[in-house]
Amino acid sequence: MSAGIVDIATAKPGRRIDNDHFASIGLTDEWIRRRSGIGSRSWLPDETPLADVAAEACAPIVTRTDDPSSIDALIVVSTSVRQRIPGVAQKVARLAGLAPSVMALDMNAACCGFVYGLVTGVSLCDAGQARQVLVCSVEAMSRMVDRMDRQTACLFGDGSAAVLLADRTDFGGCCRVAGCDGSQASLMRETGAGGIALDGMQVYDRAVRRMSESAQYLFDHGPAPTVLVGHQANSRILEQVRSFSAHLDVPFVNRIENSGNTSSASIPLAFAAELDAGALPATGRLGAVAYGAGEAWGGVAVDYRLPAVPAS
Amino acid sequence: MSDIESRIADTMLAKLRERDPSLGPDALTRPVGELDLDSLDLVELHQQLERELQVKGDLKETAGFAFLDEFTAYFVKLANRG
Repeated sequence: MSAGIVDIATAKPGRRIDNDHFASIGLTDEWIRRRSGIGSRSWLPDETPLADVAAEACAPIVTRTDDPSSIDALIVVSTSVRQRIPGVAQKVARLAGLAPSVMALDMNAACCGFVYGLVTGVSLCDAGQARQVLVCSVEAMSRMVDRMDRQTACLFGDGSAAVLLADRTDFGGCCRVAGCDGSQASLMRETGAGGIALDGMQVYDRAVRRMSESAQYLFDHGPAPTVLVGHQANSRILEQVRSFSAHLDVPFVNRIENSGNTSSASIPLAFAAELDAGALPATGRLGAVAYGAGEAWGGVAVDYRLPAVPAS
Repeated sequence: MSDIESRIADTMLAKLRERDPSLGPDALTRPVGELDLDSLDLVELHQQLERELQVKGDLKETAGFAFLDEFTAYFVKLANRG
């Protein structure tokens, strides 16, 4: 018996921003698509609290649970939440209808956050420390970027997605690999002026290597995933990982065209979009691989069996 | 042209033809700046040459190359080092 994903829901409120929006800073649709594969992204209004958006993703799952008090832990993953005191997770717990007995905590591992959160949540279940764990990623990357920066403004999007983790007798064990290399922290960082600085070529190179190696690890050390979802950073990165992982012969998800890079939310949002499109069965084994600022990287494979309701 | 040089040329030409299928081998002598390659194309070329030759290069070096000839010389040296 092991924990896996038993429910998923998403929230993508906000305004749809297509590539024409960036004409004012000299970027064309063709230029953006060629370099990133992105055609549009959702941006939240600046005044919308991220706790509200996260709760919008979590609430349907809580409602569908027979006993909400059996959700013993909530992990809210975000790199774009600005408020630190109090943490956002406690507010999300209240708004989503979780019981006061829930252990709610914030987590930040940049774009790798969902993988770290999933590993942590599954570990709590597998250790008998929680009956069910809700892992929710919520991001408003549009508030992190310099919207006049030609290199980064068009790359990022906003959104939230949550998964419920619980033990099932027929679930295979979790397989995970994760790590970080703080010596590479300067490759992606906040600038003092308000914005994100990227060393594009180095990030591309290292992201492809790390995610490809993590995918290989998941196949070498556990039951083979039936679908592979990489952090949706850039379509060029994803397609290179797909090429490097072709021998694994597994569906590889690239859903960045209409989402942009939503940091830690990108993997569950892409997974949900693929499920809703009917491209994946409701039962399988998810392999998730990510690379992000820090640099933090990792991969995790867990079984999933989902209810027959739309995730989005 | 040695076997290694030939494999490098084939890999580079395949990469160039992703952008412009009409390009021939003479394109390999042109400056990088004259070709329709962006910075990510150069990373992809670097990674594809590494895979083709089963070697590990240093992107910090190849990122500064102004001519494709420099890729050839660099990767021949790496491959011969074994």
